[in-house]
Amino acid sequence: MWRFLSTRIAMGALTILATTVLVTLLIHAVPGDPVQIMYAQSQGTTPEQIEEVRRSLGLDRSIPVQYAMFMERLLQGDLGTTIRGGQPVLDVILQRLPNTLVLACSAMFIAIVIGIPIGFLAAYREGSLVDTGLMILAIAGISMPHFWLGLMLLFFFALELGWLPVSGNGPLNLILPALTLGLSNAAIFARLTRSSMIDVMHQDFVQTAYAKGLPKSLVLRRHVLRAGFLPVVTMMGLQFAFMMGGAIVVENIFSWNGVGRMAVEAIFQRDYPVIQGFILTFSVVVVVVAIGIDALYAVLDPRIRRA
Amino acid sequence: MTEMRTKSWRTAAAIGLAAGLAVPAQAADIVWARYGDIDTLDPHRATSTLSLQVWSLIYDTLLAVDADGNPVPHVAKSWTSNEAGTEYTFSLQEGVMCHDGTPLDASDVKYTIDQAFSETTPSVTKGSWGPITGAEVVDPLTIKLTLDTPFVAMIPFLADSFSSIICDSNADAEGFGTTTAIGSGPWKLISWTKGDRIVLEKNADYTNFGKLADNPGAPYEDGLIIAVVPEPQARYAALTTGEVHIAEPPFDDVPAIKDSGDLNIIVAENTGQNVFWEFAAHRPPFNDKRARLAVAHATDAATAINLIYGDLSIPEMCPVSRGVFGNDQDFCAQYRPEYDPDKSRALLAELGYSDDNPLETALLVWTGGNRQKLGEVFQAQLAEVGIKASIEIMDIGSLNARVRQENENTEGTTGSMDMMTWSWYDPDILYALWHTPGAYRGYTSPELDAILDETRVLTDPDARKAKVQEAFRYLLENAIHVPLYTPGWEWVFAVRPEVEGFKVAPFVYPIFSDVKIGG
Repeated sequence: MWRFLSTRIAMGALTILATTVLVTLLIHAVPGDPVQIMYAQSQGTTPEQIEEVRRSLGLDRSIPVQYAMFMERLLQGDLGTTIRGGQPVLDVILQRLPNTLVLACSAMFIAIVIGIPIGFLAAYREGSLVDTGLMILAIAGISMPHFWLGLMLLFFFALELGWLPVSGNGPLNLILPALTLGLSNAAIFARLTRSSMIDVMHQDFVQTAYAKGLPKSLVLRRHVLRAGFLPVVTMMGLQFAFMMGGAIVVENIFSWNGVGRMAVEAIFQRDYPVIQGFILTFSVVVVVVAIGIDALYAVLDPRIRRA
Repeated sequence: MTEMRTKSWRTAAAIGLAAGLAVPAQAADIVWARYGDIDTLDPHRATSTLSLQVWSLIYDTLLAVDADGNPVPHVAKSWTSNEAGTEYTFSLQEGVMCHDGTPLDASDVKYTIDQAFSETTPSVTKGSWGPITGAEVVDPLTIKLTLDTPFVAMIPFLADSFSSIICDSNADAEGFGTTTAIGSGPWKLISWTKGDRIVLEKNADYTNFGKLADNPGAPYEDGLIIAVVPEPQARYAALTTGEVHIAEPPFDDVPAIKDSGDLNIIVAENTGQNVFWEFAAHRPPFNDKRARLAVAHATDAATAINLIYGDLSIPEMCPVSRGVFGNDQDFCAQYRPEYDPDKSRALLAELGYSDDNPLETALLVWTGGNRQKLGEVFQAQLAEVGIKASIEIMDIGSLNARVRQENENTEGTTGSMDMMTWSWYDPDILYALWHTPGAYRGYTSPELDAILDETRVLTDPDARKAKVQEAFRYLLENAIHVPLYTPGWEWVFAVRPEVEGFKVAPFVYPIFSDVKIGG
């Protein structure tokens, strides 16, 4: 098990390193540099001073040198300072990361609580009207874009009924963005759970269990659920990453002060240290979740940890 | 006692917000929602309008502007300069207090200027302060600034929030710019949660000497919350539910809001924002004045603006917009190429273009604010005379980089023009844009450089105005800077009906001192 985990951690570290290199290359490929944007559309300063600011930020260096500077600082636990406003990037991220994690976890909870029972019920009643109805609902859920569902929920619950606030960052404010993000993922979980369970239900070992005379509830609990859950668990890891990404749209609609919104602003402003800090944090969270899921997978399926 | 209670709940609110808990706005708080956040509370570290608007509430400036955008006394009750325009002496008002209770005097002004010209971390707008070589405290209420060379644009600069007076007690305070901002303005900082909101409380000791508010003293309401609500529809919803009192509405909903009468719409005037055609003038076809004029004559800005913006925007004749020194619609109208498609076709024919061989150009447009739709109307107008313009929409960072790249490119025959947007409070903006090397490395000439050099040093207002207008004439006659409309962006405010007294000063500075929230 330890060997399995250490391999995963090493691969995770490599993934993070590769991501930071790729992002550094990509953000410099986008036209426009942060200093130019900072002074855009208002006079502000002289061309000489723009060069001076660019020099002071190290933007006059080559991309590999800039990356090396970033890594050097990173190894000392310093993510640098924002180009806009000169604040420590780590503080800016740490202030907002909990909000995004709370949102993603709440959405994941909603997705699991709604999606898995629906998927299981549909599998259990395979081919029935209930199955068809639930799967139509699931397809509708997957097809609805976040921005549309978010705005509809906002108009209905905040504007029409007045039950929930429109924007902000309190516990009540969490409900609508978590629902927006959670419902579409619930639909994904429902479909996956259904197909995975049906797959298992038709396998020989389940038929054998029935043939042994075991009661249906026991077969489902002991054999079908455990085996059928493996692909769902994998999906949870992937979906968590998607939720962190999908949170960007939802955060914007509900003014949820998360890292997604911060990243979008930073991209428009070409605030390189913030973008790099965000990608690093994002990839660390995704890799940690992926390792966690792998570990869970290994617990559920002994063949994995022996592989 | 009341004030103590107010302070304690506000502190609780700040703590609650920091902990991510929802704290509903109190009855006496004005809530203003904007699409984005400030960059910093340090006026020397950013240039965005979103930041400037907040600094104008927390800090004071030596001068202020009147409704027409002219500098007037404020914290400085008067000022004099020597004949050469290299020495300015400002006499300060007595009794102005910083938010920490220390008096605001000449040493605070000196501290601000010293910070702006700091060797290690100069202000990002250092260049706009002018060639200041010294700030001398003559006595506690008198400060003398010495300039290397005359720089008349310094006076309007001192009325803008870029020059906010930073109380010298900030030097000892922890977290200046993020958690601390000691000014002397009408509102005191309670907290700033980056990306979420800024909580301010009224400065009960405030005296308004020159800012554009009817209220001579402290704001009427206790607090002001400036919230970040990026999604326009969410801002509209928050306005409707009453969570927010003032916000920019979704642009396309403005006519419906006006018709319904549920919210008041206030349009900022004299914003200084100028939207104009600019051309890649170092290569064909726009290195030829006739090609630029052909575009200018083919553009019916008044019709296009009316179609897209209705009465929210107006055509602009001058290269600097209304409210900025030197702007004179009648003067500029004499030289701005008028809408005349026949003249445009004649110029194109003279250049050898025809329906089979049209003038082709890229038309670069900054995304947002319905500018893409306006671009399409202009594209259709240009097509009428046989100019084939391909619209390319991009964010402001990409646009600035691309325009410079296009201007520096001297090869090829496909043109490039752009709907550029700039804002400033003084015609010195033309120096930045069109004096060698030029902000975008665009058109420059020794003749224009000489005119623009003089606009910086002429201390007599009439002489400067004449020189500024000479620059206008040059830019218009040569179709280098073809003005289209003003304002350009961020200028519409929807206000709930119970809010009274909200107004927007020139250069898009909202004023909250007069605001009263009724039942």
